Amino acid sequence: MGKLKSFAGGTHPPDRKHLSSDKAIERLPAPETVCVSLCQQLGAPSEPTVKKGDKVSRGQEIGSQSGFISLPTHSPVGGTVLKVEDMPMPHRRSGPAVLIKTETEEGGQVFEPWPEFREHSPEEIVERIKLAAVCGMGGASFPTYVKLSPPPEKNIDTLILNGVECEPYLTADHRLMLEHPDDIILGMEILVYALGAENVMMGIEMNKPDAVELMREKGVEVVPLKVKYPQGAEKQLIDAALGREVPAGGLPLDVGVVVQNVGTAKAVAEAVRDGVPSLRRLVTVTGLGVESPVNLDVAVGTPFSALIEKAGGYREDVARLINGGPMMGIAQYTDEIPVVKGTSGVLALNSHEARDVAEGPCIRCGKCTDSCPMKLVPSRIARFAEYEKWEQAEKQGALDCIACGTCSYVCPAGRYLVHYIKRAQEMIRALRKREA
Amino acid sequence: MAEPRYFELAVSPHVEGHQTTRKVMFDVVIALLPALAAAVWFFGPRALLLVVLSVGAALVAEYASLRFMKRPISFVLDGSAIVTGILLAFNLPPAVPWWIPVAGSAFAIVVAKQAFGGLGHNIMNPALLGRAFLVASFPVLMTAGWIAPGRWQQEGTGLTTSGIPQEQLAEIEGADAITGATPLNIMKQTYDRETMDSRMGEGATEQVRESLSSGGTYLNLFLGKIGGCIGETSGLLLLLGALYLVARGVLEVRLPLSYLGTVALLGWVFGGSGWFNGDPLFHVLAGGVILGGLFMVSDMVTTPVTPKGRVIFGVGAGLITMIVRRWGGYPEGCSYSILLMNLATPLIDRYTRPRILGEVKKSG
Repeated sequence: MGKLKSFAGGTHPPDRKHLSSDKAIERLPAPETVCVSLCQQLGAPSEPTVKKGDKVSRGQEIGSQSGFISLPTHSPVGGTVLKVEDMPMPHRRSGPAVLIKTETEEGGQVFEPWPEFREHSPEEIVERIKLAAVCGMGGASFPTYVKLSPPPEKNIDTLILNGVECEPYLTADHRLMLEHPDDIILGMEILVYALGAENVMMGIEMNKPDAVELMREKGVEVVPLKVKYPQGAEKQLIDAALGREVPAGGLPLDVGVVVQNVGTAKAVAEAVRDGVPSLRRLVTVTGLGVESPVNLDVAVGTPFSALIEKAGGYREDVARLINGGPMMGIAQYTDEIPVVKGTSGVLALNSHEARDVAEGPCIRCGKCTDSCPMKLVPSRIARFAEYEKWEQAEKQGALDCIACGTCSYVCPAGRYLVHYIKRAQEMIRALRKREA
Repeated sequence: MAEPRYFELAVSPHVEGHQTTRKVMFDVVIALLPALAAAVWFFGPRALLLVVLSVGAALVAEYASLRFMKRPISFVLDGSAIVTGILLAFNLPPAVPWWIPVAGSAFAIVVAKQAFGGLGHNIMNPALLGRAFLVASFPVLMTAGWIAPGRWQQEGTGLTTSGIPQEQLAEIEGADAITGATPLNIMKQTYDRETMDSRMGEGATEQVRESLSSGGTYLNLFLGKIGGCIGETSGLLLLLGALYLVARGVLEVRLPLSYLGTVALLGWVFGGSGWFNGDPLFHVLAGGVILGGLFMVSDMVTTPVTPKGRVIFGVGAGLITMIVRRWGGYPEGCSYSILLMNLATPLIDRYTRPRILGEVKKSG
């Protein structure tokens, strides 16, 4: 094999995927009550269409789409609405949600199944993906249909399926590729058809040689990638696989590419072939803070506590609970919060593995600059952000940061670089909004 | 159900890297140990005493400054003061009195480092500024304390501070050859061909040059069997230490390579008697270029963080070093060149920001 493809910069955090990589996916039945966020997707939340006391069936719409970058929300169970109100969420402080008492897990097929998707136009397919509320399953939860609706002047020639799973610890995508390759491949074919793309390939890091081999056996063009964080970030993946640079402030479609996570491809397949909206997702429950790490297939709205229970409960020295992976995930103060569509992992870290470093002064070693996958100078942007010089931070490229956390990880002084930069991004966007 | 359990909150990332400031600093200390051993071997236990005094003074000065400024005392143990102490002592002639390293270290820590805000905030390399302070304040002590290597062990090894045989050197210098000049002093004299030739006879300059460039001299220069500052003599052991740092991911190679490369190139261009007949190897091996190039030019705090900036820094420092050696008032320009480039570092960083992935150059 030749030299593996990759991008410039990056780092090698301990991957600890062995904790769960050989655990077959288990289906977790829906709990007694599910708490379904109405802001699963990036963008505007859905408007609730049910109220307390309403009976809902599985797959029924309980929130309607409220903008272009928005999606409807469906009930993952059949049952009774207990309440509709703001509740704590793993991906934001709190947000509107529907609490539903579970009565049945039957049903769910709310659209007409299209076993032969080619009998339908690409527009119909995109509409179906929208109605089925499919969003990016990699973690960012961007509405998938939006990615499939490029402006007419943009010609999309390539679809890249993202099976990189570069976040340490997480193994759900890996298991999905091993256990449901045909669903992924069907989803891939549907996406190619919807986009009219000529090329399609799947990016997989070489720490998953079994997945690479299996997909190749199935005739998929696989781009094996060097194991390096953040290899699965969209811009880095495109750079590695195709050598194309997404322009700053632009989108992959500006270079004729659409990237979709393998989990998203599976959701697309279920929406089109089976007529079932996106109601469940795969979650890796792992970390040295739980007894026996697992890969679970869970209903959206299941509390973290139920997932932890399935993983054998906490160990004595558990310290930190995270929604997502260890590099970009968000720490949670409680496990009484629901799984959302962006929950790729539930990570319980013990006190030894959880980062605990005192922040010291920057020694200007330049490690952050050398390893930034966006070729930023993180120490400089962070310094401006620390002193609330938002304009200067923006001039240094704060908005180009993909928040991968590589800079904070490599920093010998333990500085919260990515945190400062994310704060700058928020402030710059808020100031822009105010000016507009 | 059990009572609710709460978890600690923290910002991402949630796993820590293996590198810490203290590990970086102690790696540098480890990298300097072989050269320290060589210094003791060549210049005797006195060299060790000077280094210990220098490090001790640096630590005390660090502690006192932190106390005075009411900053966390734990910073004393981050290792950076130890590095400064060793590097300062490495830049001293081996025969200086005991209080010289103490004064130098104290100045380096209090004025060059802590007055600017402590670790990470100093503009200039503390050890080099400490040395500059000593040279300015005690010029005689700082330029005359040379000892021939190995002299402390036995008299009459035949080696001199320049690595050139004693008889020949006596002829060049016309005086005491043992506490005499370093190779750079002699090289400096050869630039003034008229004076040298008139004193020693026609063609003497070329002869001296030849002995400076002979294979034996190179070997002595490389192994450290020449006169010079405590830590700068053994290029081989300094190189060994630097390779250790590269392997540990602490030393960024752009800085030393561009610096040493520039010195070699310019050494050839104008380091000789005329144009394009200089001796690049001599200029790299002599004086403080190896020590400066591997451990001072690559000081993290006072040099650029951008890849391009590091090359500019190295080239600039190399250029200034060679201009001082050829035309300046001192035989060696290494430390001033680095200090001057230190001052330019913020500016260099500012104008060498790397192109962001996907960034398109704006017109105008």
